Amino acid sequence: MKEEPLTIPDLSDLTCTNLMIRLKIMLKKSSPGSAIEFIIRRDQKETIEVPFSRTGYKVTIHKIDNNRYRANLEKKDDGKMH
Amino acid sequence: MTSHFFLLGERISQERLTWIEEALKFYFLKLYPENLLHHTKPTEAVFTFLITNDALYSLNEEDTLPIWEIILSLPSVKIVLDKQELDLRGISVERLKMKNPEQVIDHNSMSLNGQTSFWKDVMKIARQTDEPFPSTIGYLHLESPYMHRSGQNVTQCLAAAIEVRASVELYAYLDGVHLSHTDQNPAECQNVGKALEDMSERAEKRGLQCLMLACARCSAARGYSTWDDGKEVVVSTCTIKPFRIRNLKVIIDRFLCNHIILGGNIASIRQKKEGSASQYVTVEKSSSPPVTILITKAPYGTEYAFGALSFAVACAYQGVQTRIIFIEDGVYALTGNHHLGEESQYFNLQEVIDAVAESENLHIYAYQPSLHRRRITKNKHITGVLDIGKTELAQLLFQPLRGSQAGHQRLLFF
Repeated sequence: MKEEPLTIPDLSDLTCTNLMIRLKIMLKKSSPGSAIEFIIRRDQKETIEVPFSRTGYKVTIHKIDNNRYRANLEKKDDGKMH
Repeated sequence: MTSHFFLLGERISQERLTWIEEALKFYFLKLYPENLLHHTKPTEAVFTFLITNDALYSLNEEDTLPIWEIILSLPSVKIVLDKQELDLRGISVERLKMKNPEQVIDHNSMSLNGQTSFWKDVMKIARQTDEPFPSTIGYLHLESPYMHRSGQNVTQCLAAAIEVRASVELYAYLDGVHLSHTDQNPAECQNVGKALEDMSERAEKRGLQCLMLACARCSAARGYSTWDDGKEVVVSTCTIKPFRIRNLKVIIDRFLCNHIILGGNIASIRQKKEGSASQYVTVEKSSSPPVTILITKAPYGTEYAFGALSFAVACAYQGVQTRIIFIEDGVYALTGNHHLGEESQYFNLQEVIDAVAESENLHIYAYQPSLHRRRITKNKHITGVLDIGKTELAQLLFQPLRGSQAGHQRLLFF
């Protein structure tokens, strides 16, 4: 049976505040040790880079298109989200 | 000099007035009993209630009038009423005034146009409570004009501010963004859009700043954002000239400043800098006034509860010490298990609360008497929300935040 590719959620329409809220909900729901992936805009990058980096997450962001970025958040072992 | 003031325009329920009364009793009996011994002059009220619009009905209603009488029996409490709105509604406050002639003020100050204005009195109080003497007055507006009379209050308030040579800032949030619509043309009442445009010009002529910001999320939802450059600049073809549509964080940036921010239902609680600590607070020093958001309305039926949560998260994210208190019908957000389809774009408020509960600068509380009154209990899985009672509510409102460098705390009713 052919496996369906996972759809990466596109969060590029969300405002910065609601992006933060959505990500925190996704992180709460994700299993320990797993990462979450999503699509964002350029101006949303800084919304997640600093706050998540300093609260125990590894943040990886790659440009995939004009004003579209693929972001990955992964909890570090001793990470604690504030 | 007035220390604390409440500006109330929304209908005041018995429940609301009761918790306010209980908080005031705690203030006078437990926190500052010296006020009971040394009566200050009536003109130097410790608490001033500025009452307008439908909140005025509470002065005449069977279930709230006795509570007002108790509140007025406390020392140094004054009520300033909007005479124009009182007359419009045919409300008599004679009974209350006869008993408390020096505490119930139903005549307003004269404004420059020769008419009396409640908002002139609001300015006097608002400009007393900040230090140094404020040069800016802000106004947070949440309702649409015309459907709500509060739309006219915005123009009256900001006009009074300009009259006393204060710069003005208007923050339009939720339905408040409708203030910004171009080509308003009401037949039966003041054109709020035109009044705001005039005000912007008047401020400019007097050398005062006039900033009008509309929340980008709220504006986009309501069809105002016609072009977004993806770099936080949004251009609209349907807003009046003075308005700027900006990300909520730009509005919150203004909350980092120390000026007084008024609104339809707000309070400003003066606090001593570096005061004694409350057990419910954090220790980070901050010069921005702390914000306490009271979520008073049931979730989902209106945007208020989610709007309040979103606003609080944005405040906390910007470094403002922020507290959310679920109270009155707001406690319905905490009861039962809320379910929403996985594909839904909307937020399950309980998931939001759970996700943001441990955020930096953010503390969330549930007012137990509101839960008890409705015979409901908090969902036991919502662990990040701390239960509080009457005493703890009063402590949150009136005990200064440890390490806070701000002169006052902002209380916003949603």
